[in-house]
Amino acid sequence: MMIRSAFRPLLAAVFCGLVPAATFAQPTVAVPKFVEETASSGVASTYTGEWEFIVGGGVATFDCNADGRSDMLLAGGASPATFYVNQSPTGGALKFANQTSGLEIDKVAGAYPLDIDSDGITDLVLLRVGENLVMRGLGNCQFAAANADWGFDGGDAWSTAFAATFEAGAAWPTLAVGNYINRAEESFPWGSCTDNWLHRPNADGTGFAAALPLKPSHCALSMLFTDWNNSGTPSLRVSNDREYYKGGAEQLWNIAPGAEPVLYTDKEGWARLRIWGMGIGTSDLNADGYPEYFLTSMADNKLQSLAAVTPDAPVKPGFADIAFAKGVTAHRPYTGGELKPSTGWHAQFDDVNNDGLADLFVAKGNVWAMPDFAMKDPNNLLLQNLEGIFEEAGDLAGVASMQTSRGAALADFNLDGLLDLVVVNRGSPAQLWRNTGMDRPAHWLGFRVTQPGVNRDAIGAWVEVRVGQSLIRHEIFAGGGHASGQSGPVHFGLGESTTAEVRVIWPDKSSSAWQPVQADGFYDIARDQPIKAWLPN
Amino acid sequence: MTSLRNLCAAIAATLLLCLGGGAFAQTDPVEQRAQQSLTNWYRLVLELVRHTPTYSPPVASRAFAYIGVSGYEAVASGRDDMQTLAGQLNGLEPLAARDAGQIYDEAVVLDAALATAAQDFFANTGPTGQRAMVAMAKSQLASVAAGVDPGIAARSQAYGQQIALHIIAWSKADGGAVIENMGFPFEYPLVEGDGHWKPTSLIRQQQKPLLPNWGNNRTFAMPAGAACELPEPVAYSEDPTSDYYKQAVEVFEVKANLTDEQKKIARFWSDDPMLSPTPPGHWISIALQILQRDGADTQTSVDVMARLGISVADAFIANWKTKYQYDTLRPISYIRKVMDPKWDALLITPPFPEFPSGHSTQSGAAADVLTSIWGADFAFEDATHADDGIAPRPYPSFWAAAEEAALSRLYGGIHFRPAIALGLDQGRCVGAYVVALKTVVK
Repeated sequence: MMIRSAFRPLLAAVFCGLVPAATFAQPTVAVPKFVEETASSGVASTYTGEWEFIVGGGVATFDCNADGRSDMLLAGGASPATFYVNQSPTGGALKFANQTSGLEIDKVAGAYPLDIDSDGITDLVLLRVGENLVMRGLGNCQFAAANADWGFDGGDAWSTAFAATFEAGAAWPTLAVGNYINRAEESFPWGSCTDNWLHRPNADGTGFAAALPLKPSHCALSMLFTDWNNSGTPSLRVSNDREYYKGGAEQLWNIAPGAEPVLYTDKEGWARLRIWGMGIGTSDLNADGYPEYFLTSMADNKLQSLAAVTPDAPVKPGFADIAFAKGVTAHRPYTGGELKPSTGWHAQFDDVNNDGLADLFVAKGNVWAMPDFAMKDPNNLLLQNLEGIFEEAGDLAGVASMQTSRGAALADFNLDGLLDLVVVNRGSPAQLWRNTGMDRPAHWLGFRVTQPGVNRDAIGAWVEVRVGQSLIRHEIFAGGGHASGQSGPVHFGLGESTTAEVRVIWPDKSSSAWQPVQADGFYDIARDQPIKAWLPN
Repeated sequence: MTSLRNLCAAIAATLLLCLGGGAFAQTDPVEQRAQQSLTNWYRLVLELVRHTPTYSPPVASRAFAYIGVSGYEAVASGRDDMQTLAGQLNGLEPLAARDAGQIYDEAVVLDAALATAAQDFFANTGPTGQRAMVAMAKSQLASVAAGVDPGIAARSQAYGQQIALHIIAWSKADGGAVIENMGFPFEYPLVEGDGHWKPTSLIRQQQKPLLPNWGNNRTFAMPAGAACELPEPVAYSEDPTSDYYKQAVEVFEVKANLTDEQKKIARFWSDDPMLSPTPPGHWISIALQILQRDGADTQTSVDVMARLGISVADAFIANWKTKYQYDTLRPISYIRKVMDPKWDALLITPPFPEFPSGHSTQSGAAADVLTSIWGADFAFEDATHADDGIAPRPYPSFWAAAEEAALSRLYGGIHFRPAIALGLDQGRCVGAYVVALKTVVK
């Protein structure tokens, strides 16, 4: 489960004085200070391997011992994956302990947490070079393979992307798995993209039916179920690597409950886009109810926004590229001296400086000794300013790692209201940074969202926070990024506001009532229950 | 030439008399192994062009020329009836001769030359390309050297490598060996003025035009980049009665009334970098398909690939020289400014000046050369994009294909008509220099 934010500060209102400018408006972007604590954190994991592991290298963050803290699983590639239980003191240094969990499995490229069987315990999907695994959470951070029990055919492919949704009326999730090239092809691997799979629930509600191939498939490196048109039925976005496909492009599948998946076409407004698609980040940046999408690539990145929304007319899947205008092309290193083009992987929107505006983290790293691309390719931390333009602050914030990065996660590991960072690197140890805050502290909120019965983590819900006339929106989803998934508190920055209101638009589109909350605290939002505060300790 | 080579030539001539050229190619084991090597390496090179990010069309054309010359010289060095290109191509010094009295295996020589050249010109490709080249070199050598005396195989391999290294050394000083930032200059002052090129892409890199100095590169067969100059393009004007406006109206109206066939043509010849073998690779692909279809002999194959490679390489130098001489605006820039701010072209507008059309120049040069080899009414089917799901197209002649390729840029909305017509003329001029090369002794 990953969480994204969107904030519409109603700039015109701010500038006209309708909202106290001091509430959100700041003259400059506040830069958070991240302190690298890899060495002292206890985390020591390297994503290893040769050609079969040039992509992947993910991390899953999730709470598996019900202490409110995000534990983590780091993909190891050719080496076994490594699980760490979070022992960080609240507000203190990041501290993790390696713990045997049943997840010590090799050939893992990516990992996504998801409560698959809706028992209230987080399970995991492991993307592998080989058979994919669904790992049932047993409690207290123990896991066991459940492929056989749940009828999940893990196949034998080079799996590189994942997304999940709960289709209307289904008792089990629908899992989409993206696969890469045929790894047996040596001299002519191009054009050998293998089928992506759609694992839908079986008819008797006990697990999964046989996987449905999503034809055509074009070497997916990221997938995301997303309600792009606010219809209540998510579609499946697939970002594909043009290095390997022939006749391919970015894809948007219309996946209606009970119906065969159908690709959106150019006649419906879906324009052909062909990039080295590697990762998807999403956020409703302008809080208009329609998410934006950041697509990582090489030498260029895209930020897509619906091109035209006409009231009372069906929304067409046509997107405009606003990356240049918003300052997020992130096309080459901004520090370190190299001028060669960049290579982008994981992308994640979240508010790292708690100013109420979604920021963007992008993991960067050369594919593997590609001399025409930067070898020292710093990760990006792009902070959104009040004009909606993003400003690079990776170096100022201290996260401009020059390692060969792949997957990542922004998560509040020490529950101090500041999002910390973990990044997986290919061929060198994963890195952890603790966010120690800004010169001028800002307020925040954290919400755990659950619903009874099926889909306990409310995948597909939107959490909305209202501060005066401003709205911030977070989507709860499973998928996207690059081989990396998250489940944990939904984080909101509030700027200088000490109070706010919150509501949830549940996956079935029903809304909870607005409820007042005090800043700087964690809350549980259980469907049809009063909101409850909880303390980290 | 050695007596051995004379003997081989005599045997070959006898076989030709007995079996005919086509049968010779299919039955002679050395020929079969050589053809297999040439076909497989060119197949891989076409993929590497598509999958190596620095390989824009001009850069691709350069590699095709040098790899073509490498293969040609490898074969020509063992035959009396082929003339070296040393002394004919600018700056190419005589290559080392074979050791007198020694036996060489022609297939191994050719394979080694192509393998060495390919691995040098694509040294900057990604990990999958590197892996593919290693696998190809290993499997090809094992295949072509199977049954060959190890001493002969080793000598032949070393000689083939020597040929390629000579060509590679020659290539280093031509001005096109180093490509930075995928060909987009970090600094480049755009020419001011309404009629001059403006960026058309939202990609940051492409705010500067591609390879602005490519027209100054050393040419291969033609004397210099300016040897095929063109008259000035239509003068810029926003006056609705002007010729410039009228040529824009044509692009606008063509786009508005595109037939399905015209759309197919535009996309068939689109040949986008990173998504296809590029325009020069498209013509290499055509030649490769014909060579395979007709079971051509190695002598013909390397002659075709060398001259075709040289023709497209010189065409891009000539074309780029003219592009940056006039530095003209793309249709999308003009139409959006003057006629319709929301107008879009069918194809992605390339990030460099408009006049003349590069595809037209290089297609004209390619058609000229292939026509000189196979004739004016040589029909063929082009399945270059079959793997991408694009149906093959038949053509009655090379010039019919070249003219369609040129016109595709009008359908695609990325060129005005004069850039197409004059581009073909420029291609004819370039082609004439290449046709004049002395290769196979008739």
